[in-house]
Amino acid sequence: MNELKVFTEDQRDCLQEIVNIAMGSAGDSLARVVETFVRLSIPKIRTIRPNDMASALVSLSSSESDTVSAVRQSFQCDKGQDGLRGEALVVFSQESFQDLAELMAYDEILTPEAEQELLLDISNILNGACLNGIASQLSTSLSYSPPSILGQGMPVDELVQREALTWDQALSVEINYSLENRSFSCDLLLLMPGSSIDYLCIKLEELIEED
Amino acid sequence: MPMDIDLAAIIVDRIDVGIFVLNENMEVQLWNRFMQTHSGIKSNEMFGRNIFDVFQEIPERWFRRKVNGVFILKNHAFTSWQQRPFLMKFSHNRHVTGGVEFMYQNCVLIPIKDENDNIKAVCVTIYDATDEAISQNLVKEARDRLEYLSRVDSLTQLFNRGHWEAMLEQEFKRHKRYGDMSSLLMLDLDHFKNINDSYGHTVGDDVLRAVANVLRASIRETDMGGRYGGEEFCVVMTATTIEGASALAERMRQRVEMLKIHSGEVELRITCSIGITEFDANLDSHEQLIARADNALYKSKENGRNQVTVFDRPQPQV
Repeated sequence: MNELKVFTEDQRDCLQEIVNIAMGSAGDSLARVVETFVRLSIPKIRTIRPNDMASALVSLSSSESDTVSAVRQSFQCDKGQDGLRGEALVVFSQESFQDLAELMAYDEILTPEAEQELLLDISNILNGACLNGIASQLSTSLSYSPPSILGQGMPVDELVQREALTWDQALSVEINYSLENRSFSCDLLLLMPGSSIDYLCIKLEELIEED
Repeated sequence: MPMDIDLAAIIVDRIDVGIFVLNENMEVQLWNRFMQTHSGIKSNEMFGRNIFDVFQEIPERWFRRKVNGVFILKNHAFTSWQQRPFLMKFSHNRHVTGGVEFMYQNCVLIPIKDENDNIKAVCVTIYDATDEAISQNLVKEARDRLEYLSRVDSLTQLFNRGHWEAMLEQEFKRHKRYGDMSSLLMLDLDHFKNINDSYGHTVGDDVLRAVANVLRASIRETDMGGRYGGEEFCVVMTATTIEGASALAERMRQRVEMLKIHSGEVELRITCSIGITEFDANLDSHEQLIARADNALYKSKENGRNQVTVFDRPQPQV
């Protein structure tokens, strides 16, 4: 196991600033799509080990309900292995599908497939909005895999099997989204393993020197 | 090296992926060969036409929202065959071996930016996912079959003990949380060992199947009937008070008593002993509930068999 990577204070501030700006503009574009005011928590940034995954998931605010649903989606920049890449997890608490359906302009009957599509769509929007904001500030651009359902209606600690986590450490960014006058709320967890942290450190240094 | 634009155009046209481009008014700007082949509509016929005018099978509000999302958020969007089997109803290439009616499709909507970073169009790509869908459906069928087999007792087709106990446990938790009243029944055949000893196991199996049929016919759809072991059966009666459970148990006992079982040349009769108990939120576990019903069942045996006993009441119910 390698030593846990740490950012310098300057790097950390710079990263927090980048993420804050990205989240702000993400909330903005999201509000334009769903035509409702979007509330965001302050992004929580830290470095975690696979062992921390379970507790990171359990501590999400959407995990207060007995069961959750979650969607995963990969992202990568054109630098390949050495660039920014990772997976985004979106965790939904007691899924108020009717609420979601209205927001996303679904006027069809809510079959199980339609419910899944809603989860996938809203996750794709959240992930894209946040990550594009981060990428553009780092002067790079990202591509995305199709989102897929990680689990539905299961206890949060069963979402990710610890044995299946092959990375050593990852940068984790956590944000909670909720909508004004709606019961809807979800958590976004961006996880960028090992080499992404090195890439970020270099990029952040460049930005700090420019100031 | 600058990209060879002519070459790129040929590849876009010839690639085995559907590609078309829409402007903000949903009018087609590009229509590649895959699209021509599967829709039967030529590229020059599609150019400038509103996509919804030509393909009425596309749910307009849904697809418009999807495309608008790409324009507003400048971000990719996706659709998957697992949630929405197709965007356009094309026939597939597995004309002979397919066993499905249309081409399953995965779609990706890609924002096309101009030099000022504004979105001028949306490129839609359609991937044929029919092979994947067919094989996944086969896997799902096999999984459903395995799941069924793992839950059911092969002799009686009632739930097997493992699955039945898991269901009882769930029901007991529900009772503890919400207080829904349910009851539990345990049934044991009287002197079953004699049948096996005198007539052999084939006859014994026929008896078990006949009793299982009585049990199945006596319970409601919301009840859960299982084979607990050997010649012991069990039923969780949901939303049933002990009075309702007594009536059902007594009816079941009578039906078993009346039953004429034919097995080969043999005709025989059998009786059963039953114990019932209602759910009690004061208990810690569903096992304690089973112990109570079992306890009542043994009272029935002790008192001469062929009767129903309610737990904790000294006199058998008639």
